[in-house]
Amino acid sequence: MRRYREFLIPVVVFGLAGFLPLFLKTYYVHIGILILIWAYLATSWNILGGYAGQHSLGHGLYMGIGAYASTYLALNFGLTPWVGMFVGMAFAAAAGWFVGYATFRYGLKGAYFALVTIALAEAAVYVVSNWKAMGGAAGLEVKYLGTNPFMMQFDGKLPYFYIILVMTLLAVLTAQWLNRRRFGYRLIAVRENEEAAEAMGVNTLGTKINANVLSAVMTAAGGTFFAQYFTYVGPRVVFGEMVSVQILLFAIIGGLGTVWGPLVGAVILVPVAEIARAELGTQFQGAHLLLYGGVLVFTMLFMPKGIVGLVKSVRSRIWKTPDDSVSAPAPEGGAS
Amino acid sequence: MTPLLEVKNLTRVFGGLTAVGDLTFHVDSGEIVGLIGPNGAGKTTCFNLLAGALRPTSGSVFFKGKDVTGRKSHQMCKLGLTRTFQVVQPFPDITALENVMIGAFVRHGSTGAAEAKAREVLDVVGIGHKADVLGRDLTLMELKRLEIGKGLATEPDLLLLDEVAAGLTPVEIDDILALVRRLNSEGMTFLVVEHVMKVIMNLSHRIVVLNFGSQIAEGTPAEISKNPAVLDAYLGEEEYVA
Amino acid sequence: MTFSLSVILQAIASGLMIGGVFALISIGLTLIWGVMKIINFAHGEFLMIGLYLTYFLVTQFGMDPYLTILITTPALFFIGIGIFQVSIKPILKHPQMNQIMLTLGISLILQNLALVLFKADVLSVRTRYTGINYTVGGVVVTLTELIAFFGSIIATLALYYILKTTDIGRWIRAAAQNPTAAILQGVDVRFTYLLAFGMGSACLGIAASLLLPFYYTSPTVGLFLGLIAFVVVVLGGMGNFLGAFVGGLIIGLTESLGAAIMPGSLSRVLTFGIFVLFLLFRPQGILSKRQS
Repeated sequence: MRRYREFLIPVVVFGLAGFLPLFLKTYYVHIGILILIWAYLATSWNILGGYAGQHSLGHGLYMGIGAYASTYLALNFGLTPWVGMFVGMAFAAAAGWFVGYATFRYGLKGAYFALVTIALAEAAVYVVSNWKAMGGAAGLEVKYLGTNPFMMQFDGKLPYFYIILVMTLLAVLTAQWLNRRRFGYRLIAVRENEEAAEAMGVNTLGTKINANVLSAVMTAAGGTFFAQYFTYVGPRVVFGEMVSVQILLFAIIGGLGTVWGPLVGAVILVPVAEIARAELGTQFQGAHLLLYGGVLVFTMLFMPKGIVGLVKSVRSRIWKTPDDSVSAPAPEGGAS
Repeated sequence: MTPLLEVKNLTRVFGGLTAVGDLTFHVDSGEIVGLIGPNGAGKTTCFNLLAGALRPTSGSVFFKGKDVTGRKSHQMCKLGLTRTFQVVQPFPDITALENVMIGAFVRHGSTGAAEAKAREVLDVVGIGHKADVLGRDLTLMELKRLEIGKGLATEPDLLLLDEVAAGLTPVEIDDILALVRRLNSEGMTFLVVEHVMKVIMNLSHRIVVLNFGSQIAEGTPAEISKNPAVLDAYLGEEEYVA
Repeated sequence: MTFSLSVILQAIASGLMIGGVFALISIGLTLIWGVMKIINFAHGEFLMIGLYLTYFLVTQFGMDPYLTILITTPALFFIGIGIFQVSIKPILKHPQMNQIMLTLGISLILQNLALVLFKADVLSVRTRYTGINYTVGGVVVTLTELIAFFGSIIATLALYYILKTTDIGRWIRAAAQNPTAAILQGVDVRFTYLLAFGMGSACLGIAASLLLPFYYTSPTVGLFLGLIAFVVVVLGGMGNFLGAFVGGLIIGLTESLGAAIMPGSLSRVLTFGIFVLFLLFRPQGILSKRQS
């Protein structure tokens, strides 16, 4: 059992969070759902951006693929989004592999990788805007037919809350799993020093492509949920630059390459932004994005490792715990 | 017996410049072979070619009797040939232990086994007490040891050492040399590039001398130190023949 | 749809005109990239500031749009310098991605500040130059486009002249090629960065005044024009001055010809497609430069 202990904390935290809606008004449940959507997407992005250090600025591409795939299939073939979600994930896997192979094969990194990913997501906006079957620039509306769990449609907010709660838990568990597994270490090695990683037996090209695929697949599932919750998908709404920027925003502000960073970033920022939007939105459209921009600039200037990174470094400075990042070796032997 | 590493007519041309030309030599199992030559003789290019960081223009490399020409770095590493870097290349944001674990994962799939191997290696290179220090916080001497440790953790049959003595004090150099000799006595084979002549003369069983990308001499340290072609090549580089 | 010769010729003419302005916008970006290796994601938003400034000078004070250059250019120069001093200078030595994220944050701030202040309305101006056209062989060219095209060329040449002949230009080129050597030769690299950032931004002041009479402004105008500037800079080779100019004309033509022969906004896919292909296969740009 010892080797599963690392997963206990996320399960307990999310289990407790599951009780919150029982005490909250509907509006706050809605904010909870928004927090979880962005936490989920940011956690997915973090696998590529934070762990492997490849900053995609076009994750809207995968989000859009997930959202459009399930919505299109539900509208035209009556396919349940529960299955459509996996179809979208498969398409996103293909797209993620293609983007990863094309960019990493040619050694694109840093700013160049960021620019290619922006361009691809932006190209997707225009492809979908001109694609009649996909509803063109107007987008697609998810036909709402009342509560129907089979079609991932519900009258109240609670079911949506629990779906995205479980999805986010799974994403956090994936991050936690990576934290102490070979693949996760290899992602970090690639981020820290690609040349050294390659010399130490890490297939850096394959590792980066796999990270891109995993991240894309997870992001696409978030896209499906997004479409079902808002019952609408539009080219800019899911593929647009603002989506891609927000996805990475929470990870960066919360703490790149940490398990909890994306969640912490979303928990702190989304409520403030939503309240700003609700209170000032009618007079001052864009107030919440203004806030995001300000926080991003502040983070880069004063705490480039994000909130979790800052907490970690403060903690290690105060306590100087030697077993801070590396716990005692878990005996594996017979169990595996 | 086939040699562990066999290099045949290895050539690499950059633009019009031949960095390594028609190089042929071999390394036997259990040897420490030194690769020397004046600045720009093609030693580092040769290392990059052997370790798979560069593809040769022509020629071939055989490792354990198998043609491995053009394999990539990570493939060479899995086959048992690992290189270290002249300029130390730590992973700065993770601990020394985790640095070494990355290498240990080549032979060990589970985290526990990789970690056990990494601790063992850290002790071997003498920085076991620094296991939990971040790569960025290590001293140069510790980084040099870490660099060797990262290579050792991949459990290679042949370890390519690129200027391990550079930047170290004489006492520290002696420490590193003792370490290499001990590992060699335990059966590991080394190919060593070194600028400090004293180090290479002390350490190597056999020396290959490069100049302008080609081999100009080969022999035991004693033979090499008397070889007129070698002395000629190093003429005007007195400061390095310390 | 018919692809008559006149449609194509018209597209080529319009494409070249707007391409000249694209070139001027991109030269600012490539100057900043070339000198300090910073990709300014707020570049499009700086241009947006220039466009709003021009708009208000024209509508509130009745200024001639082309006379506003005298105000927008120094204004953008100082805005650039100010933003550089408070936000970019402190993280010059940080990882490149941090710098990108910082400028991304600045672009979010500027974009949404504009949304808060000016609402989402799309604004354009009517001036005494509006509606004057010239017809040559069936091709219609508006006066405002012509002025923008030649104005951009003059501004580009002027900047080129400054970089080639003045002390400031020599510093900038030295700092771009080898900061360490530049320091050894007594160049104040930080100050040079500051100047280059200011000049790169000032280009946008000129571009804004030339652009507004036949274009528009809105809070998100910089999003698209900023992306176009990235496309042009990559096409021309990052940091390559002449390349950015050629790239600007090519992208102007691509956008315009694409719009003429492809339905809807599909021409944008063409533009971004070219961008991706260049990044993958020819990241050094169209005018191949020595590999450093």
